[in-house]
Amino acid sequence: MLPADCSRRLVAELQGALDACAHRQLQLEQSLRVCRRLLQAWEPTGTWACEPPPEPETNEEDPLPACTPSPQDLKELEFLTQALEKAVRVRRGITKAGERNKAPSLKSRSIVTSPGTTASTRPQSPGQAGGHASDRRPTKGLRQTTVPAKGRPERRLPSVRDRTRAGIGARAPRPGAGLRNQHMAPSAAPQAPEAFTLKEKGHLLRLPAAFRKAASQNSSLWAQLSSMQTSDSMDAAAAKTQFLRNIQTASGGSQPRLSAAEVEAEARRLRKACSLLRLRVREELSAAPMDWMQEYRCLLTLEGLQTMVGQCLQRLQELRAAVVERPPLPCPVGRPPRASPSCGGGAEPTWSPQLLVYSSTQELQTLAALKLRVAVLDQQIHLQKVLLEEEMGVQQRSAALRRTG
Amino acid sequence: MRRRRVDPAAGARAGSLPEAIAALSRSLPSGPSPEIFRRAKFDRPEATSALWQLLFRVLSPLPAGNALASIALEVQARLVKSALCSQGYPRLALAQLPEDGSKGSRELLLALSWLLARGPVLEQMLAQTRVPLGDEMTVCQCEALASLGPPAPHMEAEGPVDVRHMQWLMGKLRFRWRQLVSSQQEQCALLSKIHLYTRGCHSDQNLGHLSVTEAEMLRDPEGGQKVSGAGAAQNLDLAYPKGLHFSCTPGMGPRTFWNDLWLVPRLLPGDWAAPLDPGGASACSLLSPLRVLLRTLEHESRRLEAVLAWWRAEPVFWQWMVRKPTHPSPGIPSRSGPQDTVLGTCAPEAPAAASQPTFLPWVPECGDGELELVVRELQTLEEELREAVERRRVAWEAKARGCGRGPEWSAARRASRETVEKELGALQRCWEQDSGPAPAHGPHRLVRREDGATGDRDLRAAELIRTLRSQEACLEAVLRQLQGQCRQELAGLTGALPGLIWIPPPGR
Repeated sequence: MLPADCSRRLVAELQGALDACAHRQLQLEQSLRVCRRLLQAWEPTGTWACEPPPEPETNEEDPLPACTPSPQDLKELEFLTQALEKAVRVRRGITKAGERNKAPSLKSRSIVTSPGTTASTRPQSPGQAGGHASDRRPTKGLRQTTVPAKGRPERRLPSVRDRTRAGIGARAPRPGAGLRNQHMAPSAAPQAPEAFTLKEKGHLLRLPAAFRKAASQNSSLWAQLSSMQTSDSMDAAAAKTQFLRNIQTASGGSQPRLSAAEVEAEARRLRKACSLLRLRVREELSAAPMDWMQEYRCLLTLEGLQTMVGQCLQRLQELRAAVVERPPLPCPVGRPPRASPSCGGGAEPTWSPQLLVYSSTQELQTLAALKLRVAVLDQQIHLQKVLLEEEMGVQQRSAALRRTG
Repeated sequence: MRRRRVDPAAGARAGSLPEAIAALSRSLPSGPSPEIFRRAKFDRPEATSALWQLLFRVLSPLPAGNALASIALEVQARLVKSALCSQGYPRLALAQLPEDGSKGSRELLLALSWLLARGPVLEQMLAQTRVPLGDEMTVCQCEALASLGPPAPHMEAEGPVDVRHMQWLMGKLRFRWRQLVSSQQEQCALLSKIHLYTRGCHSDQNLGHLSVTEAEMLRDPEGGQKVSGAGAAQNLDLAYPKGLHFSCTPGMGPRTFWNDLWLVPRLLPGDWAAPLDPGGASACSLLSPLRVLLRTLEHESRRLEAVLAWWRAEPVFWQWMVRKPTHPSPGIPSRSGPQDTVLGTCAPEAPAAASQPTFLPWVPECGDGELELVVRELQTLEEELREAVERRRVAWEAKARGCGRGPEWSAARRASRETVEKELGALQRCWEQDSGPAPAHGPHRLVRREDGATGDRDLRAAELIRTLRSQEACLEAVLRQLQGQCRQELAGLTGALPGLIWIPPPGR
């Protein structure tokens, strides 16, 4: 068994690795839930028809995507309108007593406009009838009857537009919520809505217009940013260097101090140097020289390598002197993320969104599996390094003990 | 980097300084008003705390979160000081400022400008808070399986730790790795299906299909069917608070926007009246997720515009900081003289003491142990080389004496020397130079294309796979070498400490 204090560090590191894995697993599971739900049948929810009051800026006039109803739809629409009128009549009888203020306005509006539906601009408002008090079921009914013809989300868009035009608040349907159930019987529409699966109808989906506009504006701005980024203005750059130089001289120091990033970069370079040198030394030592010329060259190489190793060591000692041993400040926000050694590090992150293109499921899986494998290897290496450090520490301590003892 | 000449006259336009400062404050997240900047130039105390907080936001490695906002000003100030020091900020006056925010706003303004001059601060902050509309995957290994903070010392292990406990932990870790692999494979399969089924939907032809975020928005725009609801919010509470910082998820699977929705209130200004705590999940359901998404996109676009405006007006700002303005402008007092520049008003400092150390409390991986390993290795190498060189030199001298001298002899020796020098020079260049073209970095949006056609800036999965395979091989070699070293050390230990029984370390 290793002595207590060093094995504690190892245990702490192991625990840290376990927590990181658990955290990643959690994220994956959340994503999996969402994806699974997307691939199952999309249930019709009451919220589909319950859009919040649209703000003025989303009230755009851009045309609906390819949404002209067919004659069959119109017939169904008429059928639906009649069902609605009947429902309204029934409801009027029920809600005569103790109805809220909203209901009358809704009722009157529904009566006024539903006849108007048949006469009004039909192509623009196929869902108009669905926009009123007892809106949920009929909207769904409309959707149900047209689902074979078109994808459901397309229908939803017109109903949003119509509600915009009618200007009905989202909370309005609530008074009708209780009444809704009573209309289920008179409503002639079938009860069970037809399920919508991504597999069958996925390619029919359309993004809402507001979103499309915002996203395209966003991506064009990003493109502008990344194109401007590569063409810095000379004046600004010159002024910046001037400013930096001024600050440097005003602070009295001629050499800028090393930043933590630079120290790390230097350390990484020296690590790389070490491994390269080790490799080369092995090669030279194991090579068997054939003639005196080769032998001479081998000797020179080894001498050269010796000097280089000495230089690297010296540089390392300087670096260590620059890193003062100081307990880290109690940082309440946690340690900054550990930059993995296998990452290039210091590479400028480009901030314009870029694409990663894959062509098959298998490719994506291979890619993800490899990424995970590299991350796991990183973790293993880190743990191994900790173990090595601890062992070396033990050896040093025992050597010190032996010397004094 | 291509450089474009900016019209020199533009910089001299007097009225553009207020514009520049206004653009700067708009592009900074929760940026201070332009008035603060003006006050700071005159070293007014009321501007100090705002600037401390701004510097904290800029320097903190984490994006904004509720946790950060609740940190006391003194602590923020202390962290800012240490962060600036670790970045190599030269001015000592800042380190000596009081941490209660009573004075020093001009120094803080200088520090902010120093940061702006050194690196792309605004752009990095924008990238940190970018709204991920697509299914993102990071291309580099930064923060993959990142630990969640400094390893907490285990309180239970007071005495020597049983090696069996460590082996058990190691086994648990291996099991979790296997779990991750299988979950991830499933995730990729589902993602691929979703991309396949929604082909042809997207308005952007380049993308071609919907992402999970977009599909989810269509399926459930109200968010009324959130699966985990508050549960998701709480789970994320435990996690490394990153807001919409996408690169935290080592992009192996998509982070859906909805799961992180509870973090959105922290980034939106103004109209979020709901308390920002795990009850934030309920605040989100007041507005539909579609609306929230639109708002965040809008917000980001405004900031992007501000950054572009800042770039256009930047030269004026630097003039203000450095050089004397040639003519008075409305925003600046019309006194002439060197006091007009912000830098000029600060007292010059005595040359720093020669042994001023750079302390690095936020140093990422450059722990002393790490350097120690390299030093040890180099020292062993040095020993080996010394011995070998001595031996060979003696042997060579003996042989050379017997070979006689001549002009071609010395010519041959010189030729050998030159070749060796060239080779070693090439070897040195291998580690001195930075790796050539910067490897791809940061998150990319996953796009499925049957033909695999790519634009000039897009990455192909096949190439990435190749890179990762070589990285894997490299890492495996490193791991094997480390394991060998560990075994060697252990052999030394068991020899030195009598009675030590060791079961082979579980690090395989």
